[in-house]
Amino acid sequence: MSSAEPVRTPTRLLGSRIPYIEGPLKVSGRATYTDDLRRPGMLVGRLLRSPHAHARLRSIDVSAARAMPGVHAVLTGDRYPTPFGVLPITHDETALAVGKARYIGDIVAAVAADDELTAERALAAIRVEYDLLPEYTDTHGGLVPVAEPIHARVKDGSNVQKEVLQHFGDVEAAFAGAAERVHVHGRYAGVNHGFTEPLVTLADATPDGRLTVWSATQVPHYLHRTLHEVLGLPMHRIRVVKPEVGGGFGGKSDPLPHEVICAALSLETGRPVKILCDREETFYTNHGRHPTENDVRIAFDAEGRIRAYDIDALIEGGAWSSFGTVTTYYNGVLSMGPYKVPNFRYRGRRVYTNKPPNGAMRAHGGTNIRHSVETAIDIAAERFGIDPFDLRDRNALPPNSTTVNDFRITSTSFRRCLSEARRASGWDGKFRRLPYGRGIGLGCGFYISGSNSPIHFTPKMPQCTVHLKVDMDGGIAVHCMQADIGQGSNTLMAAIVAEVVGVDLDRVHVIPVDTDVSPVDIGSYSSRVTFMMGNATRKAAESLRDQLLKATSRVTGHPVERLRVATERYEVAHRPEVGLSYLEALHAAMETQGALVATGAYSSPPMGGTFKGARAGTAPAYSFAAYVAEVEVDPETGVYRPERMWAAFDCGRPLNRLAVEGQIQGSIHMGLGQFMGEAMDYRGARLMNPALLDYKIPMPQQMPEIEILLVGDDDPEGPFGAKEAGEGPLIATLPAMGNAIYDAVGVRCVELPLTPDKLLRGIERREAEGRAWKGH
Amino acid sequence: MHLDPFELHRPATVDEAVEMARRHAGAFDFLAGGTDLLPNYKMHLNLRPHVIALEGIRELEEHGVERIGAMTRLAEVEGDAALAAAYPGLLEAVREVATPLVRASATVGGNLLLETRCFFFNQSEFWRHSLGYCLKADGDRCHVVPQKEKCYATFSGDLAPVFLTLDARVELAGPEGRREIPLAEMYDAHGDGIHRTKLRPGEILCGVRLPPGARSWRTTYRKLRLRPSFDFPELGVAAAARFDGDRVAEARVAIGGLETYPTSYPSETAALAGERLTEAAARAVGERIRAKVRPVRNTAIAPDYRKKMAAVFVRRALLALSGGAAA
Repeated sequence: MSSAEPVRTPTRLLGSRIPYIEGPLKVSGRATYTDDLRRPGMLVGRLLRSPHAHARLRSIDVSAARAMPGVHAVLTGDRYPTPFGVLPITHDETALAVGKARYIGDIVAAVAADDELTAERALAAIRVEYDLLPEYTDTHGGLVPVAEPIHARVKDGSNVQKEVLQHFGDVEAAFAGAAERVHVHGRYAGVNHGFTEPLVTLADATPDGRLTVWSATQVPHYLHRTLHEVLGLPMHRIRVVKPEVGGGFGGKSDPLPHEVICAALSLETGRPVKILCDREETFYTNHGRHPTENDVRIAFDAEGRIRAYDIDALIEGGAWSSFGTVTTYYNGVLSMGPYKVPNFRYRGRRVYTNKPPNGAMRAHGGTNIRHSVETAIDIAAERFGIDPFDLRDRNALPPNSTTVNDFRITSTSFRRCLSEARRASGWDGKFRRLPYGRGIGLGCGFYISGSNSPIHFTPKMPQCTVHLKVDMDGGIAVHCMQADIGQGSNTLMAAIVAEVVGVDLDRVHVIPVDTDVSPVDIGSYSSRVTFMMGNATRKAAESLRDQLLKATSRVTGHPVERLRVATERYEVAHRPEVGLSYLEALHAAMETQGALVATGAYSSPPMGGTFKGARAGTAPAYSFAAYVAEVEVDPETGVYRPERMWAAFDCGRPLNRLAVEGQIQGSIHMGLGQFMGEAMDYRGARLMNPALLDYKIPMPQQMPEIEILLVGDDDPEGPFGAKEAGEGPLIATLPAMGNAIYDAVGVRCVELPLTPDKLLRGIERREAEGRAWKGH
Repeated sequence: MHLDPFELHRPATVDEAVEMARRHAGAFDFLAGGTDLLPNYKMHLNLRPHVIALEGIRELEEHGVERIGAMTRLAEVEGDAALAAAYPGLLEAVREVATPLVRASATVGGNLLLETRCFFFNQSEFWRHSLGYCLKADGDRCHVVPQKEKCYATFSGDLAPVFLTLDARVELAGPEGRREIPLAEMYDAHGDGIHRTKLRPGEILCGVRLPPGARSWRTTYRKLRLRPSFDFPELGVAAAARFDGDRVAEARVAIGGLETYPTSYPSETAALAGERLTEAAARAVGERIRAKVRPVRNTAIAPDYRKKMAAVFVRRALLALSGGAAA
């Protein structure tokens, strides 16, 4: 068992509450987002989308559109047909549809015109003849051979894009000898990221043969590579810039068609072109969380210890692969931790459908399966008559252990998450003791702290690199390609530099991502930035600090090992009055070389097994969570509200407490959205709610009171002991809610979102079956 | 999404507005707060080349306990202490409309004449084109109840049910002069669902008049929706009652958010007169109304649930009027 207090090493700035350095710009409206940018002679780009879900493009006549005054270019799929995709192994997307359209909203043509109205009129003048093809809108129908597979590269003429089969240990034997077996069948609607800033790109192909692209992206590097591959320009003649980004949550991590089209239109016209997608187009671009159906079977021994998992996940891909191969692995491998699972079998299948593509979304691949697992564990606890906390504690993965699929678990304070959530929530006085209609529930989770398996052209290169530069003014410029998309990574990198070098925070400037000057990093996804870029930044800052200490040593005559870093000063440890101010040390160091530069990089250590797919889900560290939700349900209407949540989270050491708290609050909001009402609502292939009025993101009034408990020990490899806090905090929200609702009214929540009508149906069904709950 | 160009007219008086409407007959829309019309225009829903803005016509903006000008902003109703005190149910309903930002623009008249809403109508030009349009705009068939005669879009205003329970009347001005009719008669319960009111061509809704007795009624409003702001009603129940001692002298219920027009239920509530407002009595009214309402599947929540909730909301609203705790 872990001790009551987390183990932490002391720091000066890190660990406190650090307001975002760009905060004043954002709240005053002065921060620059892509749509704020204007270029002289800029054209408006617009996209013609397919009204059909699956249709062969028999002909596209663009002559009338091209002839219109004010129209400068009209593009169709044949001009830049090179396929691309975020994963090198599944390049099945094209900038514009080639041969056929695969969903309502698939892009079939694009125009660049003087203004919006002209562009719209040009789109209306394009004549497309479609031959309609059979529409495939459900996953089950896509498992068998079909008349017209959505893509050429599928399994045996079906619409199956990817199948994963894994088996560790002996699941059959474990189930045969089990004392208790629990089965949950979960169904999850797809959800969209709902980021504030819609998709937008500005491209400028200039007469010097260069192409500059500003885009709302989480991964400038992938966009850089994709533009190179599809447009055929060498990478060094393409410059990608990331202005401020208004949220991504995974939805801006794929290179997206409108980005490629925007650049292509600029190349065609020699003029700057901007494409601003409206909200409906942003919904069609989607790449949100996959709609999923899963079967979770768990076998327990007589003491309530997990003997085996047997899991099946049927995942709806939509029209393209996107991150789907990773998703298909994650639904299996991310189902196990925070528990010890000695036998594990998994089948995951991802099936193409004629709907907007699904991809990565916050807590990618770990959310839907987790809800089913945590529901199953709650069911088991009830059958055993063991408290849900005790059952989980009994099964917790210990620190410094290895999972059955060779994940390396280093730090985990999961048990302290459990004990703190239990204490703070007053669990023991509430569980099964609150009156009918009120309930309390526990949900847990874990998540990767940076994918160990970088999507990279050579895995031999570091996963990230940071350059620092300081000139005589004392300002420290940080060059790196981690993408601050609102999550506070710029602030964190600045704080790490300030901490290590011993300077005030305002001396550090994080240079906006610009592939001309920023060293390569693979961007903001998989909760990797704090851990990986944080480590690289720390190394760079230490190298800079050492240069300053060396100069101080030269001037003061005291050896470096006797010096220490104070605030804006380097001094002799035993004679603090002897030393140099930061600027004195800097100027002394510059005497020999001018401006100082320093570099740091990070590569994760070797890890993982050697079987097929062994790297999926491996990470240098994992976050852990135990959340308790308390809900109130109106049993007559099914209307419910989360009243309070206790979020015990192990992110190692929280480096910026303000940011971590914000991430947890935002994650709970997003998790509640998926639980309570958000859904990509399709009738057939048609998305019924591509608008924020009809797509039900929860309102602030629906948020519970949240108590955050940051309980993690320092991680041995994380920067200053930190692990991720960007995605893991979402996962436990859903099962905590589901299990609380069960405690309130005796209804299991395995079909999300749980709208009031569904909950009421569940209550009525329970009553009809004669199952009383808390006397009702 | 952009707004297609239109010609904007800014009359200074009701007479001028009526004259402009006559001049552009069939080719204009009146613009009140714009929170309904302009989003619909962005979606290219029934665009008109002329828009006659009613903002700035003093007569339409005056409001008091007896008369509320049609151009009174919802935020002004919220801020008018006398109005709020006189009709608590009206204040409840106003506060449930959209968001504070929308209520700063949205008007009382606009809410009464709100365009009906439907999943197949409130969509972009692209979306509707992809489906082949609908009866209410640019098409010839209904996708909710497949046929070609009647539109089933839902009336989504929150204020009308409350005003109906208060027996409000509306002042109209048109090419043929001015007239005043009961609000209940403004809605055309027997029309095609597209032309939802009996307003004559070019007629302006100038104001709502509340009868002197209205202040002696207790009123309340209950709204069903998935989120506590932004969302239109999936069901909006207004209840009002006058009491004689501990007995009901008269009770009324009106409902919006379920059908194409807001509806009163006099025969379903008649039995309450002279009775104590008990749980059983309120429940019986709820059940009678539930048996009568016919929501269709054209909003976020399934119609069977909305129907079931009509009974619950009616019962709870009535019981709230009795002064007792809602069950």
